[in-house]
Amino acid sequence: MLELLTNLRKHLLTGVSFAIPFIACGGMLIAFAIAFAPMTPAGPDFSHTPRLKLLWDIGTLSLTLMLPVLAGYISYSIAGKPGLLPGFLGGYLSAEIQAGFLGAMLVGLLAGYLVEALKKVPVSKHLRPIMPILVIPIVSGALIGVLMIKVLGGPIALLMEHGTSALRSMSTGNNVVLALLLGAMIAFDMGGPVNKTAFFFGAAMIREGNYQVMGACAAAICTPPLGMGLATLLRKNLWSTEEREAGLAGIVMGLIGITEGAIPFAAADPLRVIPSIMAGSAVAAVVAMVGGVGDHAPHGGPVVLPVVDHRLMYVFAILTGTLVTAILTVLLKARAQKMTERRDEAA
Amino acid sequence: MKIVAVTACPTGIAHTYMAAARLEKIAKNLGHEIKVETQGAMGVENKLTENDIRRAQIVIFAVDIEVEGRERFNGVKVIQVSLQEALKNPEGIFAKIQR
Repeated sequence: MLELLTNLRKHLLTGVSFAIPFIACGGMLIAFAIAFAPMTPAGPDFSHTPRLKLLWDIGTLSLTLMLPVLAGYISYSIAGKPGLLPGFLGGYLSAEIQAGFLGAMLVGLLAGYLVEALKKVPVSKHLRPIMPILVIPIVSGALIGVLMIKVLGGPIALLMEHGTSALRSMSTGNNVVLALLLGAMIAFDMGGPVNKTAFFFGAAMIREGNYQVMGACAAAICTPPLGMGLATLLRKNLWSTEEREAGLAGIVMGLIGITEGAIPFAAADPLRVIPSIMAGSAVAAVVAMVGGVGDHAPHGGPVVLPVVDHRLMYVFAILTGTLVTAILTVLLKARAQKMTERRDEAA
Repeated sequence: MKIVAVTACPTGIAHTYMAAARLEKIAKNLGHEIKVETQGAMGVENKLTENDIRRAQIVIFAVDIEVEGRERFNGVKVIQVSLQEALKNPEGIFAKIQR
């Protein structure tokens, strides 16, 4: 069991290590474009700056490619060369059906183990040469594709639809509970269906003249990467060099409101990182809601300050959420490290 | 002599495995101990362990593409040839080693 988990972690980390440059390039280019474009109620305005729009488009493409790369190399780590095809396909479809990085991680693991199983199917010696070039790619690609579109795609679309109407019915009730939920949702899958549901809801409320819902979302959007960045600065010895660099990039992305900056951490250690960033974002959202923060743009992070009401409270909400995420992560990581040390001593 | 080898070609269906078989056969005839890792379309098979590599006196790369995990072989003497050479003239490779 322990061996299986260690292997699982190794495969996930392999995928993450290939995906990090895509997140860095995409996140940074988008961040740069947003930082220099005027922020308007309709989001960043690129109409007078085609060059920034170009950077934005390239950055978006890089982030989109991140999902196939993540899934592809998780699968590659498990099954070698033949694992790459179903992993890439599944990751691309994960972007198509809005399954986000959690969907990509899941499909990467599935694709890898599927190919491993297919490799073990006994075939006659004459068929063996066509297994890796024909049989395995076609069978694994078709199976993973059908799985993503037919099995996973439907429920995700349904989830988003029902999530939106559930949020709408909640918006007439207790605002603090709504903010808590929205904040946790924003951080949960960072660009996946749960995050998108919360974000689109906030954006839709802007059009209806309710700016506070987006205000809560905007604070929650930036605390995952900011919190992870701060965590890497607080306790340097808990992190690898690669992670510390990703932490710095995370801070820049956080400032511009790009939640994806925390994905390298969440994908490498989901069970500890995702709860921490959810808690931080939930706190940030609640503080923003209670403080009456309103956001007039469908975007988050400190970069939207010019179109935010109650700016001081907004900054305070972001700082609080960032601290919560950073401290929780450091505590959980330190505890995990101590436990591993103890186990090593016992062994 | 203890030898390890890696074979790999772009397609990875036939030549990778033919070269592996050739190297194994010739090595045995010459009285060497050999283990050959194939990096074909199925991925890495018959993977060389750390122990295999540490014990080996020489590594043969019979490859037309980049070797996967080349860093594993740091510190071991490497001889690199094309896959064609391993198929056509494997004896020549071993003659080179013995010199």
